[in-house]
Amino acid sequence: MQIQYKPKRNLLETILQTEILQGLGLTLRRLFSKPITRQYPDEKPQIRLGFRGQHALVRDPQTGDCKCIGCMRCAMVCPSRCIRIRPYKDKEKYGNRRLIQEYKIEALRCVYCGYCAEVCPVDAIVLTEVFEYASYDRPSLFFTKEQLLANWDRFIADKGIRAEDYVNPCWRPRGLPEHTLPAAKRLPVDAEWSGEEQVVGRNWKKHHGANQAV
Amino acid sequence: MNILLLLVWIVVLFCVVMLHVAYATYFERKIIGHMQVRLGPMRVGWHGLLQPIADGVKSFFKEDIVPDNADRPTFLAAPIICLVAMMASLAVLPFASGWVLADIDIGLLFVFAMSSLASYGVVLAGWASNSKYSFLGGLRSMAQVISYEISMGLSLVGVMLMAGSLNLTRIVEAQGDSFLSMYLFPQAIGFFVFFISMLAETNRVPFDLPEAETELVSGYSTEYSGMRYAIFFMAEYIGMMVMAAIGTVCFLGGWHGPFAVPWFPALWFVGKIYLFMFLFIWIRATLPRYRYDQLMDLGWKLLIPLALVNIVLTACFKALFG
Repeated sequence: MQIQYKPKRNLLETILQTEILQGLGLTLRRLFSKPITRQYPDEKPQIRLGFRGQHALVRDPQTGDCKCIGCMRCAMVCPSRCIRIRPYKDKEKYGNRRLIQEYKIEALRCVYCGYCAEVCPVDAIVLTEVFEYASYDRPSLFFTKEQLLANWDRFIADKGIRAEDYVNPCWRPRGLPEHTLPAAKRLPVDAEWSGEEQVVGRNWKKHHGANQAV
Repeated sequence: MNILLLLVWIVVLFCVVMLHVAYATYFERKIIGHMQVRLGPMRVGWHGLLQPIADGVKSFFKEDIVPDNADRPTFLAAPIICLVAMMASLAVLPFASGWVLADIDIGLLFVFAMSSLASYGVVLAGWASNSKYSFLGGLRSMAQVISYEISMGLSLVGVMLMAGSLNLTRIVEAQGDSFLSMYLFPQAIGFFVFFISMLAETNRVPFDLPEAETELVSGYSTEYSGMRYAIFFMAEYIGMMVMAAIGTVCFLGGWHGPFAVPWFPALWFVGKIYLFMFLFIWIRATLPRYRYDQLMDLGWKLLIPLALVNIVLTACFKALFG
């Protein structure tokens, strides 16, 4: 392969330094183009489908507790090992069912991959769309079960929808046919999310620009 | 009485130039921001208009750190030398006919002398800081300013020949007030050499090797903080304005414009300086930095011969036709 480091120039181009003039022309054109800066605290970014933010445990409307069944799949799949679950059993009351005594997430170690939400068979854990939860101390970012449930309540209240209606697309694993999924994961998500018509990268706007106001 | 009036004018000029320096930084950040599809300063005041004042207040109240092993008196004096030399050359600039503090006959030479004196400040700062980055910055600045001083002086010899004077007011008057009689056209080579040397002389991109952030942290001003750092900054911007003014006076016809402005005759002069400042900023937003040997190559092998050719041509034309 021949690499041409410098395009050939004739004498006139060398004397007039046309390449420098081209560069100057480019910067001058950009001077009059619209800046792409978002004035962050005044102008919030638009959160797109599948954004993975603050962790929450979904509150079961029937029991008022979390939906977690203590299967430990999230703790196993977590690449940064930041989930810690301690289940217990109450034989007299609930038989052999596992109950959750402690569910801890170290948000400072989490890499926000969303595997935990994807792997959970009962859609108990979710990465919500909240992204502004910086804190001055560490303990408030070591989420306990109560904090995670409170995160969920706050998220649902801010969103202003019923908890039953909320569907997080990360709960539905991509690229798997519907019949192979557990019942809770057969969620009504876009065809794009289920995997067959997945749109990535720059094509996103082309496909979604029509039906979603940007 | 005369001295009092002169003092008043000096104070007025000082204030005007300082305000211009403050807002030159603002416009530089704003224009470069927009050229990079950003917004630039936006938070202090409407569209960040009070940013330079906030910066000034901040640097004024910051701690003035002097390194333990620095040569203390030299370290403290260096920024002042820089600023004083640059400010002194403001005195000879003719802003309009008669609007000049010191109408001396060696105006152009005086400006050259002062701009070389300012590089002493840079060299001393580099030496006195006792830090390798500052030292390298000082060395580079010395080499660069010495080489480009020559080509700059030579490029203006053509102008001196045509005007027959070193007095800046006389040079402007010699050009006449029509567009085509500007020295830009007969002295096109001279202007080309002058423009490049001007960029190098003021340590601006693409010749900002003395303060190359990517290699030398901040060059000669690495060890400076607070107000002394700000003074270096001011000196640099005043230097840019002085060079822009010299370019305006020698090549663009000074205060002459398409029509005379009744109340503010310096308008065209100021406008041309703004044009030069915009060019400085525009070039900074566009070009990468030269390599050190390329910088020396350009200065010694291209600009000085070109300037000499220009002198010979101008002198021949002058002898044969004028």
